[in-house]
Amino acid sequence: MSDINNDSAIMAALGRQMTQAVAKQAVAAGNLANLDTPNYRTREATFDDVLNGEMQKVKMTITDQHQIASSAQSTPKTAEVDGLESRRDGNNVQLDRELLTMTKAAADFAAAQQALSAKFRLIRFAINEGR
Amino acid sequence: MSPISAIPSLPSISPSTGSPSTSAPAGAGGFGEALTKMINAVEQSGDSANTAVEQMLSGTGEVHDAMIALQRAELSLQLTVQVRNKLVQAYQDIMRMPV
Amino acid sequence: MSTLNNAINASASALNAERTRIEVAVSNIANADSTRGPDGKPYRRRDVVLAADHAFDAALGQAGVSGVKVAAVVEDQTPFKRRYDPSHPDADKDGFVAMPNVDTPEEMVNMMTASRAYQANLTAIGLIRELVNKSLELGK
Repeated sequence: MSDINNDSAIMAALGRQMTQAVAKQAVAAGNLANLDTPNYRTREATFDDVLNGEMQKVKMTITDQHQIASSAQSTPKTAEVDGLESRRDGNNVQLDRELLTMTKAAADFAAAQQALSAKFRLIRFAINEGR
Repeated sequence: MSPISAIPSLPSISPSTGSPSTSAPAGAGGFGEALTKMINAVEQSGDSANTAVEQMLSGTGEVHDAMIALQRAELSLQLTVQVRNKLVQAYQDIMRMPV
Repeated sequence: MSTLNNAINASASALNAERTRIEVAVSNIANADSTRGPDGKPYRRRDVVLAADHAFDAALGQAGVSGVKVAAVVEDQTPFKRRYDPSHPDADKDGFVAMPNVDTPEEMVNMMTASRAYQANLTAIGLIRELVNKSLELGK
Protein backbone atom coordinates (compact mmCIF):
# COMPACT_ATOMS: atom_id res chain seq x y z
CA MET A 1 0.00 0.00 0.00
CA SER A 2 2.68 2.44 -1.04
CA ASP A 3 0.12 5.07 -1.98
CA ILE A 4 -1.25 5.27 1.49
CA ASN A 5 2.21 5.56 2.96
CA ASN A 6 3.02 8.28 0.52
CA ASP A 7 -0.07 10.11 1.62
CA SER A 8 1.06 9.86 5.20
CA ALA A 9 4.45 11.27 4.32
CA ILE A 10 2.92 14.24 2.55
CA MET A 11 0.54 14.88 5.38
CA ALA A 12 3.34 14.64 7.91
CA ALA A 13 5.38 17.08 5.84
CA LEU A 14 2.47 19.49 5.74
CA GLY A 15 2.12 19.20 9.50
CA ARG A 16 5.80 19.93 9.84
CA GLN A 17 5.56 22.96 7.64
CA MET A 18 2.83 24.28 9.90
CA THR A 19 4.91 23.64 13.01
CA GLN A 20 7.87 25.40 11.44
CA ALA A 21 5.75 28.36 10.37
CA VAL A 22 4.46 28.64 13.92
CA ALA A 23 7.99 28.60 15.32
CA LYS A 24 9.17 31.23 12.84
CA GLN A 25 6.16 33.36 13.66
CA ALA A 26 6.81 33.14 17.39
CA VAL A 27 10.50 33.94 17.14
CA ALA A 28 9.82 36.93 14.89
CA ALA A 29 7.16 38.14 17.35
CA GLY A 30 9.76 37.89 20.11
CA ASN A 31 12.17 39.96 18.00
CA LEU A 32 9.54 42.60 17.34
CA ALA A 33 8.69 42.74 21.02
CA ASN A 34 12.31 43.63 21.68
CA LEU A 35 12.53 46.25 18.97
CA ASP A 36 13.77 48.79 21.51
CA THR A 37 15.53 46.58 24.04
CA PRO A 38 19.17 47.60 24.34
CA ASN A 39 21.67 44.95 23.27
CA TYR A 40 18.97 42.56 22.07
CA ARG A 41 20.12 40.51 19.08
CA THR A 42 17.77 39.28 16.38
CA ARG A 43 17.06 35.57 16.64
CA GLU A 44 15.89 33.11 14.06
CA ALA A 45 14.25 29.68 14.24
CA THR A 46 16.42 26.94 12.79
CA PHE A 47 15.45 23.45 11.81
CA ASP A 48 17.60 20.41 11.50
CA ASP A 49 16.40 19.43 8.07
CA VAL A 50 14.98 21.07 5.05
CA LEU A 51 11.51 19.91 4.18
CA ASN A 52 12.54 17.72 1.27
CA GLY A 53 15.10 15.79 3.21
CA GLU A 54 12.55 15.30 5.90
CA MET A 55 10.04 13.98 3.39
CA GLN A 56 12.44 11.19 2.47
CA LYS A 57 13.00 10.32 6.09
CA VAL A 58 9.32 10.37 6.84
CA LYS A 59 8.59 8.15 3.87
CA MET A 60 10.88 5.49 5.18
CA THR A 61 10.00 5.61 8.83
CA ILE A 62 6.29 6.19 8.95
CA THR A 63 4.46 2.96 9.31
CA ASP A 64 1.21 4.17 10.67
CA GLN A 65 -0.68 7.34 11.33
CA HIS A 66 0.08 7.46 15.00
CA GLN A 67 3.68 8.33 14.40
CA ILE A 68 2.90 11.45 12.49
CA ALA A 69 2.01 13.57 15.46
CA SER A 70 5.28 12.80 17.18
CA SER A 71 7.36 13.37 14.07
CA ALA A 72 5.88 16.84 13.78
CA GLN A 73 7.06 17.72 17.25
CA SER A 74 10.72 18.24 16.65
CA THR A 75 11.54 21.25 18.76
CA PRO A 76 13.06 24.05 16.76
CA LYS A 77 16.12 25.83 18.03
CA THR A 78 16.91 29.46 17.69
CA ALA A 79 20.13 31.16 16.80
CA GLU A 80 21.32 34.71 16.50
CA VAL A 81 21.24 36.12 13.00
CA ASP A 82 24.55 37.31 11.62
CA GLY A 83 25.11 40.24 9.35
CA LEU A 84 22.49 42.62 10.62
CA GLU A 85 23.62 46.13 11.34
CA SER A 86 23.44 47.12 14.98
CA ARG A 87 22.05 50.40 16.09
CA ARG A 88 23.65 52.62 18.67
CA ASP A 89 22.06 50.74 21.57
CA GLY A 90 23.44 47.40 20.39
CA ASN A 91 20.05 46.26 19.12
CA ASN A 92 19.84 44.90 15.60
CA VAL A 93 16.16 44.13 15.16
CA GLN A 94 14.80 45.37 11.85
CA LEU A 95 11.11 46.02 11.95
CA ASP A 96 10.48 45.38 8.26
CA ARG A 97 12.47 42.18 8.24
CA GLU A 98 10.53 40.70 11.16
CA LEU A 99 7.15 41.75 9.79
CA LEU A 100 8.10 40.21 6.47
CA THR A 101 9.14 36.98 8.20
CA MET A 102 5.82 36.88 9.99
CA THR A 103 3.82 37.53 6.85
CA LYS A 104 5.74 34.82 5.00
CA ALA A 105 5.23 32.36 7.82
CA ALA A 106 1.52 33.13 7.83
CA ALA A 107 1.37 32.47 4.10
CA ASP A 108 3.30 29.20 4.43
CA PHE A 109 1.02 28.13 7.21
CA ALA A 110 -2.10 28.99 5.25
CA ALA A 111 -0.83 27.07 2.24
CA ALA A 112 -0.09 23.96 4.29
CA GLN A 113 -3.42 24.23 6.03
CA GLN A 114 -5.29 24.47 2.76
CA ALA A 115 -3.44 21.50 1.33
CA LEU A 116 -4.04 19.42 4.42
CA SER A 117 -7.71 20.34 4.47
CA ALA A 118 -7.95 19.31 0.84
CA LYS A 119 -6.35 15.97 1.68
CA PHE A 120 -8.82 15.40 4.46
CA ARG A 121 -11.67 16.33 2.14
CA LEU A 122 -10.46 13.83 -0.45
CA ILE A 123 -10.30 11.05 2.08
CA ARG A 124 -13.72 11.92 3.43
CA PHE A 125 -15.07 11.96 -0.12
CA ALA A 126 -13.72 8.49 -0.70
CA ILE A 127 -15.06 7.14 2.56
CA ASN A 128 -18.51 8.52 1.94
CA GLU A 129 -18.58 7.25 -1.64
CA GLY A 130 -18.76 10.69 -3.12
CA ARG A 131 -21.50 11.96 -0.94
CA MET B 1 -4.71 6.07 7.16
CA SER B 2 -3.52 2.76 8.47
CA PRO B 3 -3.44 0.30 5.66
CA ILE B 4 -6.14 -2.27 6.02
CA SER B 5 -4.01 -5.34 5.79
CA ALA B 6 -5.35 -7.75 3.24
CA ILE B 7 -8.96 -8.37 3.94
CA PRO B 8 -9.17 -11.98 5.08
CA SER B 9 -10.97 -14.46 2.95
CA LEU B 10 -14.65 -14.91 3.52
CA PRO B 11 -15.48 -17.06 6.47
CA SER B 12 -17.20 -20.16 5.31
CA ILE B 13 -20.85 -19.37 5.35
CA SER B 14 -22.55 -22.03 7.32
CA PRO B 15 -25.65 -23.41 5.74
CA SER B 16 -28.76 -21.82 7.11
CA THR B 17 -29.40 -24.63 9.50
CA GLY B 18 -28.27 -22.57 12.46
CA SER B 19 -30.52 -19.86 13.72
CA PRO B 20 -29.69 -16.49 12.19
CA SER B 21 -29.11 -14.84 15.56
CA THR B 22 -26.01 -16.91 16.33
CA SER B 23 -24.33 -16.47 12.97
CA ALA B 24 -22.95 -13.01 13.65
CA PRO B 25 -19.76 -12.41 11.68
CA ALA B 26 -17.41 -12.90 14.59
CA GLY B 27 -15.45 -15.83 13.32
CA ALA B 28 -11.73 -15.85 13.97
CA GLY B 29 -9.72 -14.51 11.04
CA GLY B 30 -12.88 -13.25 9.37
CA PHE B 31 -14.49 -9.92 8.94
CA GLY B 32 -14.96 -9.85 12.66
CA GLU B 33 -11.26 -9.70 13.22
CA ALA B 34 -10.74 -7.07 10.54
CA LEU B 35 -13.47 -4.99 12.14
CA THR B 36 -11.98 -5.42 15.59
CA LYS B 37 -8.65 -4.23 14.24
CA MET B 38 -10.28 -1.18 12.74
CA ILE B 39 -12.15 -0.41 15.92
CA ASN B 40 -8.90 -0.64 17.84
CA ALA B 41 -7.35 1.77 15.37
CA VAL B 42 -10.27 4.14 15.85
CA GLU B 43 -9.84 3.95 19.58
CA GLN B 44 -6.15 4.60 19.26
CA SER B 45 -6.61 7.61 17.02
CA GLY B 46 -9.27 8.87 19.41
CA ASP B 47 -6.80 8.55 22.24
CA SER B 48 -4.10 10.41 20.39
CA ALA B 49 -6.62 13.11 19.53
CA ASN B 50 -7.48 13.39 23.21
CA THR B 51 -3.81 13.62 24.12
CA ALA B 52 -3.23 16.30 21.50
CA VAL B 53 -6.18 18.36 22.72
CA GLU B 54 -5.05 17.93 26.31
CA GLN B 55 -1.59 19.11 25.34
CA MET B 56 -3.08 22.06 23.52
CA LEU B 57 -5.11 23.02 26.56
CA SER B 58 -2.23 22.60 28.97
CA GLY B 59 -0.14 24.71 26.65
CA THR B 60 2.49 22.17 25.68
CA GLY B 61 1.00 21.35 22.30
CA GLU B 62 0.11 23.33 19.22
CA VAL B 63 -3.38 24.11 18.07
CA HIS B 64 -2.86 22.74 14.58
CA ASP B 65 -1.45 19.45 15.88
CA ALA B 66 -4.60 18.99 17.93
CA MET B 67 -6.82 19.78 14.96
CA ILE B 68 -4.92 17.35 12.75
CA ALA B 69 -5.24 14.61 15.34
CA LEU B 70 -8.97 15.31 15.63
CA GLN B 71 -9.41 15.11 11.88
CA ARG B 72 -7.56 11.81 11.79
CA ALA B 73 -9.72 10.40 14.54
CA GLU B 74 -12.85 11.55 12.77
CA LEU B 75 -11.79 10.08 9.43
CA SER B 76 -10.81 6.77 10.88
CA LEU B 77 -14.13 6.58 12.72
CA GLN B 78 -16.01 7.43 9.55
CA LEU B 79 -14.12 4.79 7.62
CA THR B 80 -14.86 2.17 10.23
CA VAL B 81 -18.53 3.06 10.39
CA GLN B 82 -18.77 2.84 6.61
CA VAL B 83 -17.07 -0.53 6.55
CA ARG B 84 -19.37 -1.73 9.31
CA ASN B 85 -22.40 -0.50 7.36
CA LYS B 86 -21.21 -2.38 4.30
CA LEU B 87 -20.64 -5.53 6.29
CA VAL B 88 -24.07 -5.40 7.89
CA GLN B 89 -25.63 -4.71 4.54
CA ALA B 90 -23.81 -7.62 2.92
CA TYR B 91 -24.85 -9.87 5.77
CA GLN B 92 -28.46 -8.87 5.40
CA ASP B 93 -28.32 -9.33 1.64
CA ILE B 94 -27.03 -12.83 2.15
CA MET B 95 -29.67 -13.59 4.74
CA ARG B 96 -32.38 -12.44 2.42
CA MET B 97 -31.11 -14.57 -0.39
CA PRO B 98 -33.72 -17.12 -1.40
CA VAL B 99 -32.27 -20.58 -0.98
CA MET C 1 2.15 27.84 26.75
CA SER C 2 1.91 26.75 23.25
CA THR C 3 4.11 28.58 20.83
CA LEU C 4 1.47 30.88 19.39
CA ASN C 5 0.09 31.73 22.79
CA ASN C 6 3.57 32.58 23.82
CA ALA C 7 4.11 34.76 20.80
CA ILE C 8 0.95 36.70 21.56
CA ASN C 9 2.08 37.15 25.15
CA ALA C 10 5.42 38.46 23.93
CA SER C 11 3.73 40.94 21.62
CA ALA C 12 1.34 41.98 24.35
CA SER C 13 4.23 42.61 26.74
CA ALA C 14 5.74 44.83 24.06
CA LEU C 15 2.49 46.79 23.71
CA ASN C 16 2.65 47.39 27.42
CA ALA C 17 6.28 48.48 27.34
CA GLU C 18 5.80 50.81 24.38
CA ARG C 19 2.78 52.37 26.01
CA THR C 20 4.89 53.09 29.08
CA ARG C 21 7.49 54.72 26.84
CA ILE C 22 4.85 56.93 25.27
CA GLU C 23 3.43 57.88 28.66
CA VAL C 24 6.86 58.79 29.96
CA ALA C 25 7.65 60.83 26.84
CA VAL C 26 4.35 62.67 27.19
CA SER C 27 5.06 63.43 30.82
CA ASN C 28 8.52 64.69 29.88
CA ILE C 29 7.12 67.02 27.24
CA ALA C 30 4.35 68.21 29.52
CA ASN C 31 6.90 69.11 32.17
CA ALA C 32 9.45 70.67 29.85
CA ASP C 33 8.98 73.95 31.66
CA SER C 34 8.19 72.76 35.19
CA THR C 35 10.74 74.52 37.32
CA ARG C 36 9.28 73.44 40.63
CA GLY C 37 8.61 69.81 41.37
CA PRO C 38 7.42 68.25 44.64
CA ASP C 39 10.96 68.49 45.97
CA GLY C 40 11.21 72.15 45.02
CA LYS C 41 13.67 71.36 42.22
CA PRO C 42 12.99 71.44 38.48
CA TYR C 43 11.50 68.38 36.84
CA ARG C 44 13.99 65.71 35.85
CA ARG C 45 13.55 63.96 32.56
CA ARG C 46 12.56 60.29 32.94
CA ASP C 47 13.77 57.44 30.85
CA VAL C 48 12.34 53.93 30.41
CA VAL C 49 14.76 51.01 30.64
CA LEU C 50 13.57 47.99 28.67
CA ALA C 51 14.88 44.47 29.14
CA ALA C 52 14.16 41.19 27.42
CA ASP C 53 11.89 39.07 29.61
CA HIS C 54 13.23 35.55 29.51
CA ALA C 55 10.43 34.17 31.62
CA PHE C 56 8.86 33.36 28.27
CA ASP C 57 11.76 31.15 27.27
CA ALA C 58 11.36 28.95 30.28
CA ALA C 59 7.64 28.65 29.75
CA LEU C 60 8.17 27.57 26.19
CA GLY C 61 10.89 25.10 27.04
CA GLN C 62 13.06 26.53 24.32
CA ALA C 63 15.15 29.61 23.95
CA GLY C 64 14.30 32.39 21.58
CA VAL C 65 10.89 33.87 22.14
CA SER C 66 11.25 36.51 24.77
CA GLY C 67 8.85 39.22 25.70
CA VAL C 68 9.97 42.58 26.96
CA LYS C 69 9.51 44.24 30.29
CA VAL C 70 10.00 47.68 31.72
CA ALA C 71 13.00 47.06 33.95
CA ALA C 72 12.92 50.56 35.44
CA VAL C 73 11.90 54.15 34.90
CA VAL C 74 14.96 56.16 35.80
CA GLU C 75 15.60 59.87 36.13
CA ASP C 76 18.03 61.37 33.69
CA GLN C 77 20.91 62.80 35.76
CA THR C 78 22.23 65.19 33.13
CA PRO C 79 22.46 68.72 34.55
CA PHE C 80 19.56 71.11 34.27
CA LYS C 81 19.58 73.67 31.53
CA ARG C 82 20.14 77.23 32.70
CA ARG C 83 18.20 80.05 31.19
CA TYR C 84 18.64 83.73 31.86
CA ASP C 85 15.27 85.07 32.97
CA PRO C 86 15.57 87.44 35.96
CA SER C 87 11.82 88.02 36.16
CA HIS C 88 11.14 84.33 36.74
CA PRO C 89 10.09 83.59 40.35
CA ASP C 90 12.55 80.69 40.49
CA ALA C 91 15.48 82.72 39.21
CA ASP C 92 18.62 82.70 41.35
CA LYS C 93 20.42 85.86 42.40
CA ASP C 94 22.28 86.06 39.07
CA GLY C 95 18.99 85.92 37.16
CA PHE C 96 19.38 82.34 35.91
CA VAL C 97 16.60 79.76 36.09
CA ALA C 98 17.33 76.02 36.24
CA MET C 99 15.11 74.44 33.60
CA PRO C 100 14.23 70.74 33.29
CA ASN C 101 16.71 68.68 31.28
CA VAL C 102 14.04 67.83 28.76
CA ASP C 103 14.80 68.12 25.09
CA THR C 104 11.39 68.34 23.47
CA PRO C 105 12.39 67.27 19.93
CA GLU C 106 14.15 64.23 21.36
CA GLU C 107 11.02 63.30 23.29
CA MET C 108 8.98 63.65 20.12
CA VAL C 109 11.35 61.25 18.38
CA ASN C 110 11.06 58.80 21.29
CA MET C 111 7.32 59.01 21.10
CA MET C 112 7.34 58.36 17.39
CA THR C 113 9.58 55.32 17.60
CA ALA C 114 7.54 53.97 20.49
CA SER C 115 4.31 54.42 18.60
CA ARG C 116 5.84 52.80 15.52
CA ALA C 117 6.90 49.82 17.63
CA TYR C 118 3.44 49.68 19.16
CA GLN C 119 1.92 49.52 15.70
CA ALA C 120 4.35 46.82 14.63
CA ASN C 121 3.44 44.66 17.60
CA LEU C 122 -0.25 45.16 16.95
CA THR C 123 0.34 43.95 13.40
CA ALA C 124 2.27 41.00 14.80
CA ILE C 125 -0.65 40.03 17.02
CA GLY C 126 -2.93 40.21 13.99
CA LEU C 127 -0.63 37.87 12.06
CA ILE C 128 -0.44 35.39 14.92
CA ARG C 129 -4.19 35.44 15.21
CA GLU C 130 -4.36 34.57 11.54
CA LEU C 131 -2.36 31.41 12.25
CA VAL C 132 -4.60 30.42 15.13
CA ASN C 133 -7.67 30.91 12.96
CA LYS C 134 -6.12 28.89 10.16
CA SER C 135 -5.31 26.13 12.64
CA LEU C 136 -8.93 25.98 13.67
CA GLU C 137 -10.03 25.85 10.04
CA LEU C 138 -8.47 22.40 9.88
CA GLY C 139 -11.48 21.22 11.82
CA LYS C 140 -13.97 22.42 9.25
